[in-house]
This record gives sequence, structure tokens and C-alpha cells, in this order.
Amino acid sequence: MTETRMNAAASGRMASTRRAGAALAAIALSLTAGTAQAQDYPERPIEMVVTFGPGGGADLMGRTMAQLLEEPLGVSIPVSNVAGASGNAGLTRLRTNPADGYTIGTLISLTVASWASGLGDNAPEDFRVISVVQSSPSFLFVPASSPHQSAEALFEHAKTNPVTVATSGYGTQDDVTLKLLADAGITMENVPFQAPAERYASPIGGHTMAIYEEPGDVAQFIEAGQLVPLVVFAAERHPAFPDVPTSAELGVDISGLDNYRSIAVPSGTPEDRVAILEDAVAQAVQSEEWQAFCEKTYTCIEPVTGEAAQAMVGDFRDLIAEQLSQ
Amino acid sequence: MAEPSVRRRFVPTLLPAGLLVLALILPGRMFSRDQSADVVGLGPAAWPGAMLLALAVLSAIWVARDLWALRRPGSEPLLAPVREEEPYAMGKALAGLVMIVVYGWLLSVIGFALASALFIAGWCVFGGVRNPLVLVPVTLIGTVALLWLFMGLALMPLPRGQGVFDGFSIWLLQLTGIY
Amino acid sequence: MGAFELLGGGFAAAFQLWPFLTIVTGLLVGVVAGALPGISFVNAMAMALPFTYVMSPTQSMLFLGGIYVGGVFGGSISAIMINVPGTPASLPATWDGYAMTKRGEVKRALAIAVTASATGGLVSALMLAFLSAPFASFALKFSQPEFFAATVLGLASVIAIAKDRPLVTLVSLVLGIVVGTVGVDPLYGQARFSFGVPEMESGIRFVVVMIGLFAIGEVVDLLATDRNLRPKTEGGKQIGAKLADILGVKGAILRGTGIGCLIGMIPGAGATPGAVIAYGVEKQVSRRGAEFGTGVEAGLAAPEAAKNATTGAAMVPLLTLGIPGSAATAIMLAAMMLHGVNPGPLLFIMDPTMVYTIFAAMIIANVLMIGAGIGVAQLFSTLMRTPPAILAAFIIVLSVIGAYGVRNNIFDVWVCLAFGVLGWGMKRIGFPSAPLVLGVILGPLAERYFLTSLANSQQDWTVFVTRPISATILALAGVFVLWSLWPGLAGRLLRRRTRAT
Repeated sequence: MTETRMNAAASGRMASTRRAGAALAAIALSLTAGTAQAQDYPERPIEMVVTFGPGGGADLMGRTMAQLLEEPLGVSIPVSNVAGASGNAGLTRLRTNPADGYTIGTLISLTVASWASGLGDNAPEDFRVISVVQSSPSFLFVPASSPHQSAEALFEHAKTNPVTVATSGYGTQDDVTLKLLADAGITMENVPFQAPAERYASPIGGHTMAIYEEPGDVAQFIEAGQLVPLVVFAAERHPAFPDVPTSAELGVDISGLDNYRSIAVPSGTPEDRVAILEDAVAQAVQSEEWQAFCEKTYTCIEPVTGEAAQAMVGDFRDLIAEQLSQ
Repeated sequence: MAEPSVRRRFVPTLLPAGLLVLALILPGRMFSRDQSADVVGLGPAAWPGAMLLALAVLSAIWVARDLWALRRPGSEPLLAPVREEEPYAMGKALAGLVMIVVYGWLLSVIGFALASALFIAGWCVFGGVRNPLVLVPVTLIGTVALLWLFMGLALMPLPRGQGVFDGFSIWLLQLTGIY
Repeated sequence: MGAFELLGGGFAAAFQLWPFLTIVTGLLVGVVAGALPGISFVNAMAMALPFTYVMSPTQSMLFLGGIYVGGVFGGSISAIMINVPGTPASLPATWDGYAMTKRGEVKRALAIAVTASATGGLVSALMLAFLSAPFASFALKFSQPEFFAATVLGLASVIAIAKDRPLVTLVSLVLGIVVGTVGVDPLYGQARFSFGVPEMESGIRFVVVMIGLFAIGEVVDLLATDRNLRPKTEGGKQIGAKLADILGVKGAILRGTGIGCLIGMIPGAGATPGAVIAYGVEKQVSRRGAEFGTGVEAGLAAPEAAKNATTGAAMVPLLTLGIPGSAATAIMLAAMMLHGVNPGPLLFIMDPTMVYTIFAAMIIANVLMIGAGIGVAQLFSTLMRTPPAILAAFIIVLSVIGAYGVRNNIFDVWVCLAFGVLGWGMKRIGFPSAPLVLGVILGPLAERYFLTSLANSQQDWTVFVTRPISATILALAGVFVLWSLWPGLAGRLLRRRTRAT
């Protein structure tokens, strides 16, 4: 599987010289066929299905990526927002469109987590993940006016008093994190806000005591000093926030629940087209614009592709399902 | 003479009666998968449950009131069918509704361009615009203008249809310079 | 630098050739898109988003701001002329505006609507420019219980404005709220009423319901009655607008503007509840309240002023806090962030020129709107001269595009058409559809504000009455309902008493 993909990936640029002997002729034949096919793809606009409405993290990623993919692919890439059912409506569109490489879409961890609570009829096998391009751990933030300006102080307070945390809902990564904290004796009240804007406003307005969020989504509030990061739920400290301790340092090891965003196509898309897309995404991620974008949203990662990316999606769904069923 | 008119007058009462039945059935069919027993707070069923209860109570009051009105001469049911100022061609209206529904179904099968052209032409013919010198240009220019505006300029991914129709739509879009 | 100098700089920047053309283009696109039945201004802004990639951040905001201001008004053109609201916020304009058109007073109705809208928009743009900071900190004091109370006020106004009997209105409203619960619930992520159909999990959007109920029902009636859409004339001459007409409704415009400015700042609410509440208040305040719905000028002016007054107000939390309160402002946020600009308190310090250029543009757009509105209305009245069958066919196709464009989903088209058939039937038996649409809009808001309020107060139900602002608004809603139902109740009691004696 991986072997064929690598072959196809190389076909557009340089002939594979690893193989030799009797198979050479056959390989050469398959390579020319591959190149011929590669040249007539793409020949018309590729639709980018963004699985959420305009204005959110997935939308920004999809639109930025679409813009940067236009140059390497040489066709226009119109974005269509297909929102609904935690991103599943868009994925259904992606899955049911012809698997010819002319429809690509965003697949993000929030939607994968929703599969664990039974939403949609999509499964990891329905999609071929081209590349996971963004990922970020989540933090607990408190407003600048909070009396608890360190994680220790907040956790200590939570042991004897009610502490309210603004989250995106029950049954999400946010909920799982709070449950794991509660298991360790740090009980916090989950206050779900469906609308992101209201979620961000609630700690700033003093209506909730803290907020669970990835830093990119509240970047403007961090820069303005309105929200202060207390703790990161990851195995290592975040390079952009070297002074913020990990939860493991505070005695509660919570990690592996990072928010990631990927570009995917329906499974069954021809391998050579997947390879062309993977190549284009790799070029886009290398670009200065993308680096500036991911730096601003604290989401820069080394892109994850192929089997590893596919496994990331499947494992994540299983992890959330396991945590929620406890 | 009086008997059928009374019956006719109470046709609108079927609406609250139907809503009452619906409001009593729906709470049991809210979820298509099992719900976990321990939820924080009121749970996802609380709000729609309360609203369906309100709907049931209100429709029951309505039905009761209309039945009461039925027994008293001079009382009217709550709803009265509208009186049109002009004659209303019921058959034409029903045919129009059918055309609209068929159009919706055709959209996903034969694509936006073909379905819309057929619908515009069909509706015009049905509505009395039968001069081919008007009909043909309105249909063709209209459809191409819509395609150009929404698929070309606004970049909307309107349905292209399935199978051969998908191929036809792509050909048409390439012909019109949109793709 | 004071606000005046900064705003002066903003005007200087906005009156350059390209920025000015951008505002005008946006405004025209907005008015036309808003006026087309089916295509709402949110649709138009989402479609315009890719064009902003090539613009500077400021220019993209001028463009989107123009579409926003123009689109919120544009919906009233089709509401007044053909009884099909172009956007949900123009729903109240069909009640008194279309009634005026039927009397042959289409020009007067349009003149009142455009003046009221422009005044409301202008006042709220000025508020945005001068009072952003205090209003932003005021808005932050509002939390979920207050939002819930405001939504209840909206629901109360729906009962208060009804022309039909309260019981019929209530059934329609509650039915709408039930329709709004279809799909994934806001807190628990569970699909409700999906009946095992994955598409149903996406839920039913109010724009789709509105397009179906209003556009399709109206078009089928057009086919069945041989009615034409030509502007009616009385005695061979159309009744135009006089300055006295505008001055006669200045009270309604001012009240509508005030209500719109306040409601606009509440996240999630937006233009439609603002217009509906303004209509309800005006119906109670006006001396001709009982005649509302038959073409009363004040009944048209108040909601028109209110809905455009929400435009500037909705941008207060966006620009000062970086918090978008509605779909339209979320698209503006996207446009800014795609350019790497983060709105919020820092924007005022880092780039005051940009902020004040946007303020100036909002003011300019509202002034220019009078011309743009009248121009597009002229264009539409020319269009109305084409045979009704051709117009009707295109209204249906545009409605289908509009329903599809909400989320690029064919399922929404089917929902829209289903509600079209339903709406036609409802119209036949005289069941009101406006409360249903408002129920679909307000119901989901009420649910999530209610449940989040409880989650944030350890499930304490008294939170709604122990917080002063929320308690005040709820009391207001109660008074409102009683006040509007009182004439009917009093009449019945009086009759009973006379019968007894």
C-alpha cells in the first residue's frame, strides 16, 4: 500500500531507480501510464468542502489551504461551506461525491469525536486522509481579573469550591478532559456554550471562571492580555508558551486530546491523484503564508501523511469512545 | 344544504387534531439510538419534550373549543378558510405544487442546469407564456445567466447530476467558460 | 487623538476613489441580493468572501459592510412589492408594507421603508463610532440568562403582534419551536428527530423554512389566480411619497432605532428579533395599534428602522471585543482573520485608521442607501412588468438556489420545498405562518440560552429572576403579553358581567 503510493508520488518528478532487472519494462510501462493520467489531473476546479460555517478555525484552515493549493495544482479551488451535525453534513457530501479527486474536504478532530457519540454515518474508512496539517493542544485559560493566576491555585480552589469552565459541549474532548480531572479529585463544572463567540465572551465578562480552548481560537484575547493560560494538556510544554506547565507536571497526566485539522478525500480516490494532492499540500505547508498562518494560530506541526494520518483518525475516535463510555 | 357546509367549515379543525396526535407520538421517537442514563442537567430531551407537551395541550384546547362551537349555532371554529378576492384555480395550484416538487427531485438527478431549464420552460408554458420567440430565449438565456452568476461568479457548487448528467453538466460548464 | 479627528481621518480615507467605489459596489450587491427572493444578505456575504482575498483588509471590510447594510434593507423591497420577504428580517415589512402596496401606495411604502432603514442604520453607525467602548463593556455584562430573557421578550412580541387569535398564534409559534429542535442538540451533541436519516441530523434552518413558506406559497397563488404583479395605480396615477409622510412616522422610527440598537448587541439575536420586537412595541404604543396589518405607516417604519439599527450595533462586539454575534459578523471576522487581522481591543490601538475607516464607511453606506434603495426599487418595478409566469418561475429557481446556498446542501432544498407545500396548505385554511418562522428562529436560541444558564448556576432555576437585568426583561415580556391581550380579555369579562346582571 505504502509502496505503491510512494511510487506514484515519485512518478510525476523522477523515475524510480530503485527497481531493476526483469521488472524494469513493466515498471516503465506503468510509470508512463501514471504520468499520462497525472497530466490530465486536475483539469477543472477542485471543490474544497469546509465542514463548518464561515468564520471558524476549520473555515480559516480550509480557505487558506485552498488559496495556497491553487498555485501548485494550477486550477481554481472554490470553497463551499457545508455546515451541520458537527461537521458530518459536509463529510457526507465529501463521501458521496465521486472519488475522482475533484472534491477535497476538511476533516477535524471535533467531527471525529462526534462519531464516538453516535453522530453521522461516517467512519474513518470512508476517507483517505491526505495530510494532517494543523494540531494544537488545549489549555485552561482564566481571565486577567481572576484571583487564581496559577493552575495550582485554581485546582486548589476547585477542590473545595465550584469552579465553572466554559467548554464546547458535553461528550467532546473538553468534556473528556474535565472528567479526567475530576477523576484526579479536581472537580470543575462543565458549562457548554454552543456558539464559540459566547464561549470566549463568558470568562472575559466574568460569567465563568475559566475556559477550555486551543490557543489559536482565542489568540486575540491572549495577545490583549484578557485571557491568561494556566495549564496545557499535552505531554510537553508548548513552544509558544514555555512558562505554562503541562498537566502532568501538576500531577494529572492528560494528553493525546489535541485538536487537529486535516485535508481528506473520499476513500477510493485513485492513488496517483492522492499523490498529486499530497505533494501540493506539502508544498502549500512549506510556503511562507502557511507558516505565518499556523504560527499566528499556534498550530504549526510537521504534516502527518499516509498510514500514520489514517491511524490518527481511527485511534482518536476509539480513544474518545472509550473515555465517554467510562 | 346546512349539513355539508358545517362539515366543510370544520375542515380546519383537522389541523389541531393532527398536531395533537403528532405531539403525542413524537416524544417516543425523538432519538434513533439509545441514550445514556446519566446526563448532566436536563438532558437533550427536556426542551423538545416540554414544547411537544405545550403543543399537545394547546391543540387539545383548540379541538375542544371547535367541538364546542360545533354544538352552538352561531359559533365559528377558530380558523376560517381564506376567501380569495379573485377566483382560485385549485387544479392549477396543485399542478404547480407537483411541478415544484418534481423540480426539487430532478435537481439531484439531472443537475441544476437541465432541471432549471426544464422547470422554467414548463412553468412558463403552464402559466400561459407559449410564444416560442419568448419562451426559448427566456429559458436559455435565463439558465445560462443563472449558471454564470451563481456557479461562475459566486462559485457555488450547485448539483451537477448523476452519471451521464454529471458529464453533461461538466461539458456545459466548460462550454460556457465557467470551468 | 479624539474620536472626531480619527473619524475625520476615516472619512478622508473612505472618500478616496477605490474605497468609495468598493462601498458603492457592496451596497448595490447587497440591495440587489437582498431584494431577490431567496437570496439573503448572509448568502451574499458568504459568496462575496472569496473576492475579498484580493483586497486589502480595510477594503474587504468596506465591501462586506456595504453588502450587510444594503442587504438588510434590500429584503424589504420584495417584501413590500410582492409579499415575499427577501430576508427573514423583512418579515414584518410584509404585514403593513404589502398592505399599502395593495392600496396602490407602493412608492409611499418604499419611501417610508428606505428612510426609516437609513435613519436606523445611520444612528447605529454613529453609535458604533462614538460609543463603542462603553457599549462594549455594557454588552459584556449580559450573559446567558439575559440572552434567554431577551429571547423570551421576542417570543412574547410574536404573541403581541398577532392579527389572529392568540391560541392560533401560540400553536403556530410552538410548532415552529418544535421544528427548530430537529437536528443535533446544542449541548449534548445528540441527534433529535432524525428518524435514522443522517441528513436530518443537520437540522432545519430558519432561512430555508422562510423561503419555503413565503416564496413558494406566494408563487403558487400567483399561478392560480391570474393576478399580476404590476404596481397598482389609483386614478391613473401612483401615489407618491411626501415629506409629511416621513415626518408623520418620526416617533415610530426613533423607537424602532432605539430597540434595534439594543437588540443588535445581543449575540445570536440579530435583525429579525429586533424588527419583530419593534413592531410589537409600536403596535402597543401607536394610537392606530388596532389597525396594524392593514397598511399603517408606523407599522412599516418601526421594524424597518429597527432591523437596520442592528447593523451598526452588531459590529460593536465584533470590532471592540472580537466577538461576532451573528452569521453576518462571523463572515466579517473570517474576512479579517484571513488577512491576519484580529479584531478586538488591540485593533483600536494598533490600527485605529482601519477601525475609523470602517466606521466612516458604515455612515456613508447608510446615507447612500437612500439612493441605492430607490434605484433598485425602480429596477424591480420595471421587472414586475414582465409576465407573472416568467417571474414566478425565476422566483422558484432563486428560492431553490437560496435554500441550497445556506449550507450547499441539497437536503435543505427538499426541506424548503416541503415547507413550500405545507405553507400553501396553511395559507388555504388561514393558519398563520409568520409565528412558525419566528419560532424556528427564536426556539433554538431560547433552548441553548436556557440550558447553558442552568449549567452555569448549578441547575438553579431562580437564576433568571435573581439577576436584575434578566428579571427586568422577563417582567417586561410578561407586561407586554398582558398589555396586548388585555383588550380581548377585558371585552370578554365585560360581556360576561352584562350577561350575568
